[in-house]
Amino acid sequence: MFSWLHVLAAKMRGSVRSGHRDAEFDSEIQAHMQMLTELYTSKGIPAEEAVFMARRQFGNATVLKEHQHEQRSVLFFQTLWRQLTLAVRQLLANRLFTTVAVLSLALGIGANTSVFTVLDQLILRLLPVQHPERLVMIWSTGPHLGNNDGNRRVSYPMYQDFAKRATAFDSVFCRTSEPADFSTGNRSERVVAELVSGNYFQTLGAGPALGRVFSSSADDRRHMGHPVVVLTHAYWVSRFAADPHVIGRKVLVNKYPMEIVGVAAPNFSGVDPYDAPQIFVPIQMAPVFTLGRDDLGNRRSQWIHVFARLKAGYTAHSARASLQVLFHNILVEETHDPELRTASAYDLQKFLRRNVIVEPAANGYSELRQQYATALMVLMGMAALMLLVACSNVANLLIARAAARQKELAIHLAIGAGRKTLIGRLLVESVLLSLLGGAAGVLLAVGGSIALLDFIPESERVMLHARPDLRILLFTLVVSVGTAVIFGLAPALQGTRLDVWTTLKNSTGSVVGTSGGVRLRKALVVGQVALSFLLLAGAGLFSKSLANLKNINTGFTDIDRVYTFEIDAQKAGYGISQARLFYARIRDKILTTPGIQSASYAMVPVLNSGEWDTRIAVEGHTPKDGEDMQAYYNALSPGYWKTMGIPILEGRDFEDGDRAQTASPDEKPNVAIVNRAFAKHFFGNASPLGRRIGFAGAHSDPTSARIIGVTENTLYEGPRAGVHRQVFFAFMEANYPLSATFYVRAAKRSSEVLPALRGIVARMDPNIPIYDATTLDEKLATTLSTERLIAMLSIVFGGLATILAALGLYGVMAFVVVRRTKEIGLRIALGAKQSAVLWSVLREASMLMSIGIGIGVPIAYLLGWYASSQVFGVTATDPSLYVMAVLLLAGVTMASGFLPARRASAVAPTVALRYE
Amino acid sequence: MPKGTDEPKRSEVLQGTLDLMILKTLHALGRQHGFGIARRIEQVSQNVLQLNEGTVYTSLLRMQQQGWISSDWGASDNNRKAKFYSITKAGVKQLARECEEWERISGVIGRVLSLSAEG
Repeated sequence: MFSWLHVLAAKMRGSVRSGHRDAEFDSEIQAHMQMLTELYTSKGIPAEEAVFMARRQFGNATVLKEHQHEQRSVLFFQTLWRQLTLAVRQLLANRLFTTVAVLSLALGIGANTSVFTVLDQLILRLLPVQHPERLVMIWSTGPHLGNNDGNRRVSYPMYQDFAKRATAFDSVFCRTSEPADFSTGNRSERVVAELVSGNYFQTLGAGPALGRVFSSSADDRRHMGHPVVVLTHAYWVSRFAADPHVIGRKVLVNKYPMEIVGVAAPNFSGVDPYDAPQIFVPIQMAPVFTLGRDDLGNRRSQWIHVFARLKAGYTAHSARASLQVLFHNILVEETHDPELRTASAYDLQKFLRRNVIVEPAANGYSELRQQYATALMVLMGMAALMLLVACSNVANLLIARAAARQKELAIHLAIGAGRKTLIGRLLVESVLLSLLGGAAGVLLAVGGSIALLDFIPESERVMLHARPDLRILLFTLVVSVGTAVIFGLAPALQGTRLDVWTTLKNSTGSVVGTSGGVRLRKALVVGQVALSFLLLAGAGLFSKSLANLKNINTGFTDIDRVYTFEIDAQKAGYGISQARLFYARIRDKILTTPGIQSASYAMVPVLNSGEWDTRIAVEGHTPKDGEDMQAYYNALSPGYWKTMGIPILEGRDFEDGDRAQTASPDEKPNVAIVNRAFAKHFFGNASPLGRRIGFAGAHSDPTSARIIGVTENTLYEGPRAGVHRQVFFAFMEANYPLSATFYVRAAKRSSEVLPALRGIVARMDPNIPIYDATTLDEKLATTLSTERLIAMLSIVFGGLATILAALGLYGVMAFVVVRRTKEIGLRIALGAKQSAVLWSVLREASMLMSIGIGIGVPIAYLLGWYASSQVFGVTATDPSLYVMAVLLLAGVTMASGFLPARRASAVAPTVALRYE
Repeated sequence: MPKGTDEPKRSEVLQGTLDLMILKTLHALGRQHGFGIARRIEQVSQNVLQLNEGTVYTSLLRMQQQGWISSDWGASDNNRKAKFYSITKAGVKQLARECEEWERISGVIGRVLSLSAEG
């Protein structure tokens, strides 16, 4: 069975002290011969005759020794070494070729490695937990008829139902992460807290490094009953200098007293590797983090992520099927809840048709990954295409060189080298080339990954790095060797398929290519043109999409001098009314600062991907079945419109007098401003001023707010989401967890504005941290980071591919011209015009280009659908993109065909005819 | 090397059968050197088989690498230093397998050859 293993092992042993074994065998043979000779002499044969007979009887001893030597050792290694030294000599002898080939490969491999470095970290890494492959994430689609706090969220009661009643899982756990104010002693800082169910650590198989981690029995029993904290190992080291006495220490989390009970295992950082928490807190303590709101019992609020570990025998697919039944039953139960009593029959019908989703989550869940995954996949594809172009180029060079070396190869074949040996030798050269290319590529890739990470906003890329690790090096190695085989095999096969006789017969010094070599090279160039076309079309598509997004009307004006920062007074211990006053006082202070034109603050930061949306009730308006009643909200201080440069179309801004007389939690908004899109949808051309609106749902008086103003449309989350129907309430009337994002319009852009603003806040309260301090135009740029990443890189890839294709075409045409020198000379001697000769060469070049584009267009068309989810305001099959790509390619290929063509037309007939 | 015309007609050793013969020899006679093996095959075949004795060594090395035989240095009858080969446990198993295989095939061939024309 494993006899080949035996043999290989024996051969390995045999390779060692090979000379010694040769000598041993020599003496064995000699002994045999002597015994044979003695045998014959003993039969009375004369000594001389006996020696001869013995030799004949034994056979050819030299060949035998040779065979024994080969059989005894792993010939492969010895030949390989010989071929390697030969290959190095060949590459050194031909430096220009080597440089061009290595550079092409380095570009191709470098591009792939850099994209892979980031892709690997974001997408391919599994969580460092027990059996990550059995982890799944559970969420649902369809109208939830309530509040939703982000992607893939589930309500806490729903999670409890899953945990108790689902049969497909060993255990179900939940988590969410929230920013928090963490203080011990007199030092307070902002951390990310991961709120987790009691079974979180056990299910993931993560233990403590110190103290204990949470358990279902100890930390998941009573609402608000578990004020305990587990630190991540990294935070324990950085914040507490790995102090072993940290256990039992009292701390304040959002000013709420808690106790440190443990430190998690070193490599464990939760299920979102890119938003790693510093502390873990039991989810029963959630109200400490979602101030003014307690959603632990609220079925109409989706705010947690749910994960589960599959029972043996279940797949994500079969688990989903069984969970869907339970999910539907839960939904039916929910329809009896008071909150859904007012829902229309139409909405309930849609509500009951919701689907639960169970998806493998071996690498956890990360918003960052969701955001960049498709982009990185697209880029990986483009990088692979570029590598193919580079491969074709090197293949092309190799064929040309094999052609130039035909004589040498023919001589080898003629004196008995096997074709296999020659192919092996050529392949060793290719592998060596691509390893050199790979090594250079890794160096390029480090720079490349750093550049790539630059596209990901700083706040998001904390956990990503550009260092190539073992996995990356392995990837590069595989790519390099794979590449070598792809580009090396065809030329090697081609180059060794020689008619030895004719090749040798040709006089020395001539460059003769077999017609097959040229055909293959032309095919490669056609392929390169087709691939370059794809990349160029992609580059056009993505950059046009980016341009569209950039040029979209934000609705804000002069945003390069609108400064913004966020503060959260409530997390620092302020009550709701205290926080409102605090923010108002900061605004007053800012307004008195020289160089500041206006200032305001909002509850939801704009151009920040976040949103606040819920159903709206409009007095006198009965929602039609299927009508989108979702409105997008914000709560604003006075001065917002002026600061953002948004025109008020009708009515007025909020004023300080609009503030509610009392600040009880039940307070409903009295006044509202709507945007043009909202006014148009609900009121048509009639004036909305004085009409009443409010939150649909639980309130007994849903339409409490009177519309006092209408403003121009603006963007909310970012350019991609576009303009929504928006409603704005006065910040003073909002009774939600109050963080405030300030907007400040300065007279001119200056690096002194932000420090001045920081100073104002610090003087008001030094304990309040400021974050996300930047300008509004930078915020806008951040929302486009994915788009910019794809656009820039696709341009780089497309450009490089085109240059490589042009090089390839140039090489082939130059080669063709040299081969046709005699024929061209003859034509000129017979009176052909120079222009005719020029044209005949150019025609050949344009022929190759046309075929390449002809192949590229339908493929680009087919690939278009994959890219369509990534582009904005442009169809993937936009003909103008194709025209642009064709023109660019045509220009470049014609230029690279022109040089050889001109050389051909300048051939002097006398030289050409003597040429051989 | 031109072949003498007056030599008696001898058969080439069938590919693969040399291994079998050597294994059997070692199994039957025990520890042997290459010369001894060659003599034994010559004697048994009664000069019907044409054997380049050198090929015995190729076969020996191959089987050694497979682990069917082992070798050690010792002294021959006339006190010359020689390499001796002996069959291993794996070799005995292999021999049994090959014998069976050989008998099966030769049986088939025998039956085919004994088919009469009128059948």
